[in-house]
Amino acid sequence: MKIFTAFLFCTALAAPLRAQTVDDGIMIARHSLFTGAVYSHERWDQYWEGALKRVNGNIGTMTTQTNSWFANYGVTNRLNVMATIPYVWTRPSQGVLTGMGGLQDVTLAGKFRLLETRTATHGSLRAIAVASAGLPLTNYTPDLQPLSIGLASKRVSGRLTLNYQSNPGWFLNGSTAYTWRRHVTLDRPYYFTDDQFFLTDEVTMPGVADYVASAGYMKGGLMTALSFSQQHTQGGGDIRRQDVPFVSNRMNFSKVGGMVMYPLPKLQYLALQLAYAYTIDGRNVGQATTFTTSVLYRYCLDGRPTP
Amino acid sequence: MSKPWSLSRRFVAATAVTLTIVWAGVSQEFPHAATNNDADAGTWQMIVLTGPTQFTVAPPAAVSSLDYQAELASIKSAQSRLTNDQRKAIEYWSKGGVLRWNEILLELVARADLPPAPNPDGTYPVPDANNPFADPQFPFGNPPYAARAYSYVMVAQYEALKVAWYYKYLYNRPSPSKVDGGVQALIPSSDLPAYPSEDAVMSGVNAEILKLLFPAFVEEITLKAGEQRTAALLSGKATASDIAAGVALGRAVAPVFTARAAGDGMGAAGGSPALWQSLADAAVARGEIPWKSMDIPPRPPMLPLFSRVRGWMMTPDDFVKERPGPPPTTSSGLMAKELAEVRQSVDHLSRAQLAIVYKWADGASTPTPPGHWNFIAAPYISAAQISEVRAARVLALVDMALHDAGVGCWDAKYFYFNPRPSQLDPGLKSPIAVPNFPSYTSGHSTFSAAGAAVLSYLFPTGASYFDAQKEEAAISRLYGGIHYRSDIEVGKDHGKRIGDYTVRFAQLDGADRPLR
Repeated sequence: MKIFTAFLFCTALAAPLRAQTVDDGIMIARHSLFTGAVYSHERWDQYWEGALKRVNGNIGTMTTQTNSWFANYGVTNRLNVMATIPYVWTRPSQGVLTGMGGLQDVTLAGKFRLLETRTATHGSLRAIAVASAGLPLTNYTPDLQPLSIGLASKRVSGRLTLNYQSNPGWFLNGSTAYTWRRHVTLDRPYYFTDDQFFLTDEVTMPGVADYVASAGYMKGGLMTALSFSQQHTQGGGDIRRQDVPFVSNRMNFSKVGGMVMYPLPKLQYLALQLAYAYTIDGRNVGQATTFTTSVLYRYCLDGRPTP
Repeated sequence: MSKPWSLSRRFVAATAVTLTIVWAGVSQEFPHAATNNDADAGTWQMIVLTGPTQFTVAPPAAVSSLDYQAELASIKSAQSRLTNDQRKAIEYWSKGGVLRWNEILLELVARADLPPAPNPDGTYPVPDANNPFADPQFPFGNPPYAARAYSYVMVAQYEALKVAWYYKYLYNRPSPSKVDGGVQALIPSSDLPAYPSEDAVMSGVNAEILKLLFPAFVEEITLKAGEQRTAALLSGKATASDIAAGVALGRAVAPVFTARAAGDGMGAAGGSPALWQSLADAAVARGEIPWKSMDIPPRPPMLPLFSRVRGWMMTPDDFVKERPGPPPTTSSGLMAKELAEVRQSVDHLSRAQLAIVYKWADGASTPTPPGHWNFIAAPYISAAQISEVRAARVLALVDMALHDAGVGCWDAKYFYFNPRPSQLDPGLKSPIAVPNFPSYTSGHSTFSAAGAAVLSYLFPTGASYFDAQKEEAAISRLYGGIHYRSDIEVGKDHGKRIGDYTVRFAQLDGADRPLR
């Protein structure tokens, strides 16, 4: 009951719901809590075997679905902490290989606003730093790529985001991160990758750099954006001709995407988000089309208005 | 005289990049130091050769000769200015040439172990030995090809080393560090005579045979062979003339084996569309559901006539004699029961069972199951601190049994042409690719039982471990959803009987007890 009144108070006074990800420019206010559910559906029927784009009858169309729980809490106005827990399941449309499913990796992130300048005429400019860590929650195998539910690697990332928000509501966002990945342990005593035979079950995982640029409009409860993102794995081998993919492959891609988010008219503590992404180029990854839908729900623990 | 080796030295740095097997998390290898030099190895029974005197090794110059003294001086000079790469090469080869060549062989097989990609029209190209760098590369290092390759290299090496041992003890020329205190022994020295150099013999014979088996990797192979000779020289194990005699002997032995390989039936093992159809028709005529490829698009069966490839310890009649009886008929209740067991298992796999599946998957880009048994043998060879010739014997025996197991298993597979579980139950999905050949009997089970039989004979203290590995390898195929229980049980029995042919040879080859 007490919590319920808190919601009402919160919905009356708080700023509108907005998408919050590790790479956007949005900070939430102190002691506010957002939580949500995210469903994503990714499909591809072509993939890049090294640089060669191909189909594979033993996979057909590959579908990966993810249900995630998401939370973001404002420790202070400058520091937000976020958590995501995905449940992933995979399925090939043909062939004899089995799909897999299970809880994948929890991601924990601290998002810190380094600086912000606001002017009445030009809007605001923010710099945000994010430190995050990923940890596999279950002992799933990374050795059935692309049907494994993940790469089973512990990881930490450092990210820097620059965000410009104009007073009329237009924004520009640029973000880059580097991810260090801990070695992965296979169930087998040797493997061949990157033109070398390794007599060990430990696989060194190359680091990953990523870049995201987005532009959009955000006013009131509505937010819409177009984005371009790239991932560059800093090492790892190509999938050889007719070989199976391997956990430490050099997985690179460029994606374009769009998203729209709006609060439900009569339930302002709930917002829906729809997103789409398409892989325009890649290496050792599938040419994926991804649809994502999210429902975000806002708590407001102490009822303080957000800035 | 030392010219070829100075050339090799230049290649050492390049080699470290091109063909490096990486051991991570494994402590530094102990240098190979045999507790017994096996002085009588020249009398051990030959397998293919007629005897050590089939090849001539000219007597060496006396250690007091000017030529020999010049060779010693050149070693001392080279040792006084060793580069880091040369030290690394010495350390690498100090593990023992036999074990290192076995690792190189595992890597070459893993490198070659890729099936051809389909053509746009749904057919598949065939790897071409005369065009090894093309797509598809030659060879496709699949399990039968690998079993045969391991055995050729390891048997040829073993035979060449027995010849070398004969001449070593005929001429008794000591190693350079024993002759001249000024030559350092950079790996533990022994009283093993140096002429002809065993390292050079291995480099000579192995490189020649590997070039035939893995022609696309001729450069890496040649570099490795050169590096081994360089390391032998720089470590104070052998002089240039020890090495020259060794490499000449190795290269003289190789053609016996390359000629055998050229005529052993492998070239015809792929069969023809008419043959593939006749195998299916024969199964239908017996009232059975014939095997079909589960690959999309369907792929021709893997090496159906590998069953006719020449064995080492078994004659064609032996293979027929040892052929297992038929599997449960595809329409029988027993088959339905076995199929249900596979489905039940694969649908309720524990994480521990899945780990066993992947430990033994040995599919694309791996050394294959025969390579896995070489990998299992290696630490036992290391720990036993045996001579190179005895180490070579272990792997020759193991790999002959594995090859014969491959031939015998392929004989059963194509004689019965039995479908895989996922063919009979389209709802059955596997956590590993379904091998592209008939189900009965299990190759893993047959290979593993043959390998375990020979290793248990050679290393009795490891017998229970080898047996446990065999059982795990065998059942991994049921967990993986690709074999019925009868494939596994019959395969293990068949493999054991095949392995025993090699064990019976080993009991009488003169290595375990003197001849007569």
